[in-house]
Amino acid sequence: MAATLCLKLLPKQGWLPLAQHVRHGSKAVTRHRKPMHILKQKLMAVTEYIPPVRVIPPGAYESQTKQAREQDTAFTLLLKRNLKNLFQESKMIAVVQNNASTAEDMMILKNRLHKHGINVKFFPNQVALHFLKGSIYSNMAPLFIGPTVLFVSKEPKVSEMLKTLRSSPQMTLLGACIDNTLLSVEGIVNYSKLPTMAVVQGQLVSGLTMLTSHTSSMLQHHPAHLSALLQQHIKQQSPDSSVEAAPAVEKAT
Amino acid sequence: MAASRKASMVLKAVKKISVHFCPFESNVRSTREFLAAVGSGKVRSTNINCEVVSTVKHDNSEPVVDVTFVDGERLVMKGAHLTGFEMLSAFQSRCTAKDTQGKPAAKK
Repeated sequence: MAATLCLKLLPKQGWLPLAQHVRHGSKAVTRHRKPMHILKQKLMAVTEYIPPVRVIPPGAYESQTKQAREQDTAFTLLLKRNLKNLFQESKMIAVVQNNASTAEDMMILKNRLHKHGINVKFFPNQVALHFLKGSIYSNMAPLFIGPTVLFVSKEPKVSEMLKTLRSSPQMTLLGACIDNTLLSVEGIVNYSKLPTMAVVQGQLVSGLTMLTSHTSSMLQHHPAHLSALLQQHIKQQSPDSSVEAAPAVEKAT
Repeated sequence: MAASRKASMVLKAVKKISVHFCPFESNVRSTREFLAAVGSGKVRSTNINCEVVSTVKHDNSEPVVDVTFVDGERLVMKGAHLTGFEMLSAFQSRCTAKDTQGKPAAKK
């Protein structure tokens, strides 16, 4: 309409009116952000959301609905069963935090550990915590925070594991459960320095029999001393007789 | 948590970050989160010379983060009563401050 008016009012070309009335602006859907109409602005300001005032801060008490919502799905049940089997089968379970391992690093690490029979397992922390709270290993629960990896193995090969972990700087060993005993990092290092079972048994046996062997040696001390003295006497006697016989033979000849 | 600002964490001014904590304590969550955020590949790739050392102890001591900057300044954060977000934001603000100080000086 304004265009038709313009055509009538501006017969000469190149003539602009003094006052321009914006009868139509941009369309409804624009590429730029269209400024709101003043009436719409007023409406939006009046109808702003005022949240209800909470007497208790939101994180202070645990909501009861959250506890009821924790129902095990089939997947979590499967994971828990796997965890249970793992704990039963493997003698050593180590918890390691990995800050930034690439897939390549992970592969190399897995390969190195596989040579010693150590498996690398991933489990979600929530599932692990839920499982641990119910089992006897509940003291391991504080270890499972952040990105954690489980190293499980049937034989407790601690020294090899430590050597492999030393090569990757971003893996942090947190703790381990070896033979149903929870160990810290110091404990793990001490465990690795222990000698083998045979050596330890030998040391134990020798320590126990030390007293009895001492007693028996004391009892046999006197006869042993006597027999040693007699043997010495015989030795002294026999060279004397052989020395006497030799000069007598020489004299005879 | 710090997902929105993770990409902008630049470690150019940092020489060494050492993190000590005892995993069996109950107040180490923030320190571990800090370690996970700082030790991630993206952040470490901004400065390869920066070492991130984590020590695990068992002597009931407090979790401590010790950051040594290139110009010798040290930032010690005791994470027992801090949240991970607070530690990260404090660390990041110092980093960016050092960075902006360094860049104009280099440009001049």
